[in-house]
Amino acid sequence: MTRRLSREALIKWAPLLVLIALVIFFTALNPTFFSLRNFARIAIAAAPALMVAVGVTFIIVMGSIDLSMEGTVSLTAVSFAFIFAQLGGSLAGFGWIATPLVLVLGGLIGLLNGLVHVKLKIPSFMASLAMGFVGTGAAILLTGGDIVKVSDAAFRGLLTVRWLGFPLMVYVAAFFLFIGWFIQTHTTLGRNFYAVGGGEDLAHASGLNITRVRVTGFALAGVFYAIAAILVVARIGQAESVTGANFMFVSITSVVVGGVALWGGIGGVWNALVGVLIVNVIDNGMVVIGLPDFLQDGVLGLLVILAVVLSTDRKMVSFVK
Amino acid sequence: MYELKSVDKKFPGVHALKAIDFHVERGEIVGLVGENGAGKSTLMKVIYGAYQPDGGQVLINGTTVRFSNPRQAMEKGIGMVFQEQSLIPNLTVMENIFLGYERQFVRFGVVDWKAMAKAAKAQLAKVKLDIDPATVTSKLSFVQRQLVELAKVLTLEERVKGDLVILLDEPTSVLSKDEVQLLFKLVRELTTRASFIFVSHRMDEVMELSDRIYVMKDGEVVEVVERGGATTEEIQHKMVGRNVDKQYYREHLQKPFDRSKVLVEMVGVGLPGRIEGISFKVHAGEVLCLVGTEGSGREAILRTIYGMLTPVTGRLKIKGAEANSYSPRQSVAHGVGYVPRERKIEGIVAGMNVYENMTLSQMKNHSRSGVLRVAEERALARDWIKKLSIKAHSEFADCGNLSGGNQQKVVLAKWRSGGSDIMLLDHPTRGLDIGAKEDVYDMIRAMSVAGVGIVLVADTLEEAIGLSHTIIVVKDGRMQKQFDCAPGAKPTPFDLLHYMI
Amino acid sequence: MDIQRLKPHLPWITLVVLVAIVGINDPSFMRPSNLLGIAGDIVPLFIMALGLTFAIYIGGIDLSAQSIANMVTVVASVYLASMGAWVAVLCVLAGFLLGMFSGFVTTRLFVPSFISTLAVGGVAFSIAQWLSGQRALNMDAMQRNETFGWMIGRTWGVPHELLIAAVLVVICLFIERRTTLGRALKAVGAGELAAAASGLNVARYKILAFAISGALAAIAGLLFAVKLSGGAPTIANGFLLPAIVAVLVGGTPLTGGVGGVVNTVIGTLIVAVIRASMLYFEIDATRQQMVFGVVLIIAIALTIDRAKLRTVK
Repeated sequence: MTRRLSREALIKWAPLLVLIALVIFFTALNPTFFSLRNFARIAIAAAPALMVAVGVTFIIVMGSIDLSMEGTVSLTAVSFAFIFAQLGGSLAGFGWIATPLVLVLGGLIGLLNGLVHVKLKIPSFMASLAMGFVGTGAAILLTGGDIVKVSDAAFRGLLTVRWLGFPLMVYVAAFFLFIGWFIQTHTTLGRNFYAVGGGEDLAHASGLNITRVRVTGFALAGVFYAIAAILVVARIGQAESVTGANFMFVSITSVVVGGVALWGGIGGVWNALVGVLIVNVIDNGMVVIGLPDFLQDGVLGLLVILAVVLSTDRKMVSFVK
Repeated sequence: MYELKSVDKKFPGVHALKAIDFHVERGEIVGLVGENGAGKSTLMKVIYGAYQPDGGQVLINGTTVRFSNPRQAMEKGIGMVFQEQSLIPNLTVMENIFLGYERQFVRFGVVDWKAMAKAAKAQLAKVKLDIDPATVTSKLSFVQRQLVELAKVLTLEERVKGDLVILLDEPTSVLSKDEVQLLFKLVRELTTRASFIFVSHRMDEVMELSDRIYVMKDGEVVEVVERGGATTEEIQHKMVGRNVDKQYYREHLQKPFDRSKVLVEMVGVGLPGRIEGISFKVHAGEVLCLVGTEGSGREAILRTIYGMLTPVTGRLKIKGAEANSYSPRQSVAHGVGYVPRERKIEGIVAGMNVYENMTLSQMKNHSRSGVLRVAEERALARDWIKKLSIKAHSEFADCGNLSGGNQQKVVLAKWRSGGSDIMLLDHPTRGLDIGAKEDVYDMIRAMSVAGVGIVLVADTLEEAIGLSHTIIVVKDGRMQKQFDCAPGAKPTPFDLLHYMI
Repeated sequence: MDIQRLKPHLPWITLVVLVAIVGINDPSFMRPSNLLGIAGDIVPLFIMALGLTFAIYIGGIDLSAQSIANMVTVVASVYLASMGAWVAVLCVLAGFLLGMFSGFVTTRLFVPSFISTLAVGGVAFSIAQWLSGQRALNMDAMQRNETFGWMIGRTWGVPHELLIAAVLVVICLFIERRTTLGRALKAVGAGELAAAASGLNVARYKILAFAISGALAAIAGLLFAVKLSGGAPTIANGFLLPAIVAVLVGGTPLTGGVGGVVNTVIGTLIVAVIRASMLYFEIDATRQQMVFGVVLIIAIALTIDRAKLRTVK
């Protein structure tokens, strides 16, 4: 029993300790790391990734996985850029309508993703991977491989307007993080994610509609991917079919490193936040202390393995594929 | 109040329930006892709606009802407290209690945790459990979880009009003596609100708690005993049923074994929480049978010999050699063969054909530097198909498509053809029809004559008595009693049952 | 006719139907030189699919194949000058070891293969970026032709890639049908618990399956680098999806145990014909990815053995 408890404590607090240790480490090597300017830089880089991570957190809590984020982000980003331009190309005019539309689009893509997974009974990692390819394909189709610029000053204000040193997009991300937390702790849906992840058969026996919970979860994740897409477009001022590239690796890594157990039922949006910060601090820190940033993927890969190993109760699993 | 009238349930090849009459009155505690496989669990599943009866009627207050799933049964006031914990460990106590029924606490899409906590508190008070309903379930002790489980079922009280019937399936198996008394006291008090059906392997507990006891055997209710209407022993006799003669056990077929040659020796083997202080020897040609109830530790003993479990205390010797690393690979190399209970999962590989299955454990014997001699494998398979008269169109038949009996023959052939001389058989006749069972018995006797040491966990007591030279009764992970089963001096099922429960 | 009995034959029927459709609409498609050319072009992809077959055959997945191939294009370009032909050994060994590492993490550390291979893919990507200095590299044309020129020529109109593919198919087929390794992999894919209960060292065989997958991904990368006479850390991106599609439409389901090498040959040909037909029907190349994504979903849905999945997560 004590072993179990210490394990739980370790899983709960280790990510935060790692984050603090990393900050101290990089500051010691280069004090400029610990500055508002640099923190703002980290926050800007982290904001879209955080939204993707929050979305996929719900899925992982259910014990499933979603690998469709690259396609979904690309497609919603491109759609946003097009709709925004169609509606006048300015936030001041009717351009803002593009935002809710794209959120709905993200939800629909997620819904489709969930339906393919649940109704065709395909394991989620493969269903979502395939749907991700379809999403990217659709984005290529829309753009024909071109870049779509979004240069509306009001919209780019998400990046350029700062408040207490941080641009607006960071506050937007924080707001949606809060929403994610609210869903996780204060709604039946959020709690049902944990029930499904903690014991799907038992939850089913208690009369829970597992199918609905799963499909809704994927739709919700899709909405968060769409938010991420809008933030990315705001950050770089353009959308293209590769806008979503690398989000899969980074977000899954973040969530797992942050302490969300791959087996489901444990962790939540705060873990996603810590995880995203770990990943981005490593990323940023390497540059600050002058290490080549290409080591990042490798380091993250090893970190993920370590995180999964730590969070796996080996007595509980007979074998994995 | 709740009544079953000549309820029948059939599965392919098994008549699991035969014209069961059963009733529970308001506020009554009814015990249900029977040997493994007597039909208790099937009956319970019918009661709480997991199975639908094939014949007969289910009546509540005189009206016929029919449940197509447990949820419908719950809506009529029938709740089940599961033996295996059905609480979700990562959720809080209150979430578990109201899982699937959260809607009553949701206002504008938001869960009112305070209201849920208050309601949960009220449910917990019914079972006299004073814990914070926001506690995460995995932090509770076993007895606390058992009580939460009961509290969860008792929410039916508010949801359902009319009387409650609550099934308790082995609720005491993980509890200490004091905890059991606590639970019993509670159950007695709760009879003002509900009737109970109590299922347990522990005879004394059933006697103590129940107002009436149904005794089941072979899918039938053989006796209904009022409180104080019979002694423990009389009930045990009824569970065992008929007395059988020498002819029934075919004692003349049993050959003596070679006491000079020890194949397996266990000395004080223990695995915390599963088995403790297990010591015995298996000789060449001996059939040693482990007898006990479900979960008594028989399987753990088999799996330890096979190397799938590593004992924490004690020693295991196979053919005189001390085992110091435990793995199936190691055991197979020492000539140990294992016929698992889950034939379709661990026994055969469905999707592979007969010869591929037969040589799976001994590919080394039929290959050179990793290259298989397939013609040789096929010849071997054809040989054994003939020897055991396996019904398969050829050695290319997919084992997944064979009948249960023939699958079992393939598994036995796999080990015998590889020269295994220590066989571990876990329920080798499970789910087989009579003819196939006889075939398996013949094979066991033949192996015994050939000098193979056999450790058997049998499907029924009669099977155990008929086949074995030695019987060891296991209860709660410990050896209770060892019987010598030489022809003419066999113990009766009652003798065994007496030590089992 | 029973759909279950028809199922094993679906892949080649699909292939024949597709070829017939394209052939009728565009007779020039059926010209032997054209067919050979199409087959030759798909060889690097096919070799990667061949490797993936092993990972999928045991019920796992290898998402690192593409990154390993990427890495190998870089390794080959960087070390060709100094190592000559030995660079091939280095490449294959690197792929084998990375695959082994994935297998080790999956079987011994209980990390699901889609995560472990994704992580190992990250490692491979880092190595590629580090070695290449994040640039596209070129091989010395002279030296390439001298050392590996034999890989990409033609003899009597037959592309040499096809011969390489044929040799690999024969080797893999031999492993699958005639060796204890192949038999063990089948047992692990069809019933892992029964394989373990028969005393097989399941972990070792699974690790080997991932290692073979890695090694073949490396060969795919090497051939690709030779064809393009250079390498870059993202040059083989776009291989993974069609390679997985090739394995699955060929009839090796995600749940493992059935299918195999021959199925992947057919599956790859289906992918090749789909690609070619897109050209002939003037379907925009940009739609390819979408088409393959949808084909992938259909293929999984048709082949997967749902009896083996207790709960679909």
